[in-house]
Amino acid sequence: MATELSAWQPLGLYLLAILAFVLGVLALAHLVAPPRPRPIKDMPYESGVDPLGDARLRFDIRYYLIAVLFLLFDVELLFLYPWAVAAYADNGLPVALRDAAFLGVLVFLGLLIIGYLYEWAKGGFRWR
Amino acid sequence: MDWLTIGLIIFVISWLQILCAYLIYLERKVAAWVQDRKGPNRVGPWGLFQPIADGLKFLFKEQVVPAHVHRFLYILAPSIAVITTMLAFAVVPFGPTDVPDPRQKRFIIAPNLDIGLLFIFAIASLNVYSIILGGWASNNKYSLLGSLRSAAQIISYEIPLALSVLGVIVLVGSLNLEHLLNEQARLGIGGWLIWYQPLGWLLFFASALAESNRLPFDLPEAEQELVGGYHTEYSGMKFAMFFLGEYTHVTTVSLLMVILYFGGWHFPFVAEFNANYPGATGVKVLVLWTKASLVILVIMLLRWTLPRFRFDQLMHLAWMGLVPLSLLNLLSVMIVRHWSLSPWLLLPCSVIILTAIPLLHRWKSRQLDWA
Repeated sequence: MATELSAWQPLGLYLLAILAFVLGVLALAHLVAPPRPRPIKDMPYESGVDPLGDARLRFDIRYYLIAVLFLLFDVELLFLYPWAVAAYADNGLPVALRDAAFLGVLVFLGLLIIGYLYEWAKGGFRWR
Repeated sequence: MDWLTIGLIIFVISWLQILCAYLIYLERKVAAWVQDRKGPNRVGPWGLFQPIADGLKFLFKEQVVPAHVHRFLYILAPSIAVITTMLAFAVVPFGPTDVPDPRQKRFIIAPNLDIGLLFIFAIASLNVYSIILGGWASNNKYSLLGSLRSAAQIISYEIPLALSVLGVIVLVGSLNLEHLLNEQARLGIGGWLIWYQPLGWLLFFASALAESNRLPFDLPEAEQELVGGYHTEYSGMKFAMFFLGEYTHVTTVSLLMVILYFGGWHFPFVAEFNANYPGATGVKVLVLWTKASLVILVIMLLRWTLPRFRFDQLMHLAWMGLVPLSLLNLLSVMIVRHWSLSPWLLLPCSVIILTAIPLLHRWKSRQLDWA
């Protein structure tokens, strides 16, 4: 299978085309549509009530906690993806290394699960 | 510079526009049928020109940029929504992958990218920026609440999504979607991965629905509580771009589901691997898109079948329901693959995991109060 850089060339072209498309659509809408700003129209929509103060308030710490948890799990997943391909591809690991790789990943997943259970016991997933 | 790639790019971009416009039409029609209404029926026969009228309206509507927003981020957010979801389409094959000469004819923008599936997840998860930037830049309380919820939801469901697909990758040993598809097609209907990964498919479906903000997981835009969530302050073309992003994402997810679990363009007797009777390519394209349309239709019907989750239920489902199930699914696939057992063992295995774990969960949570 192609791993050289030329396999990415269509992707680059596609990205450029999408960028051009998005900019084009925004510019076209900007040119065609009539600008008619009014003070009331420019207010934030809060169900017809005049907004009180800025909307950029402090928010709940639990969102932050979820983000940290996500980061941990996502890094682990990023490790598992290359492993899955390397270990189980048709021309992947030699037979001698299979057992070691399997055990290694079991240990890795075990650590992940211990952390997960700890987080569960601590109530890190509880949203109340 | 090859003209095939350029032609394909132009075709895909315009095809996605038309498809999204008509998916919105279909969504409205389905909603109307479910609710015993008529739906759009004024513009053209059966309202078929409605998407065109809508598109023109979006274009000629005033581009309102409210005074209180962060202008740059406000415009950037819908652009990210379109760019990321459309870019993720680049590695999805939208037709047969067994064409003899890919330089003459092919149905994928970037062929032979070994990173395929990972690329889709990486790019599609960038979509969360559009929501959080849109919500924050709008400087509106509804928008901020919607975007916070949405960000938490999308990153939480990212993990079961990626873990459930890992089962497929361990089974086939490739991230390349064309390779995954060819392997399934070569083995015939017994090769469809749904037989070996029913649990993985279920987890994938649930997480993918949450990822694309569809009901029953559409809390970020829960109309009754948050007006429109992160796009409350958007109108005209920028509003349409958010929807373009959402429906492109739905299309990608449906195609991905068909490719990963339902054999893609393969169908017994009609579209077999390397079948080359005249018109075989067209039949394969038709089979693939029929399957994908059925998935899209199911997604739309689900919207009118299931009630919306509460936010704590949503987070509990992701972290305490789907993550352990997908970990067990991964472990079972690993064991089967390591000792080269028959993959058919995975079918009862999935059923056992799916029934045993929720029961255990229930029993545990009755005993201790930490669930």
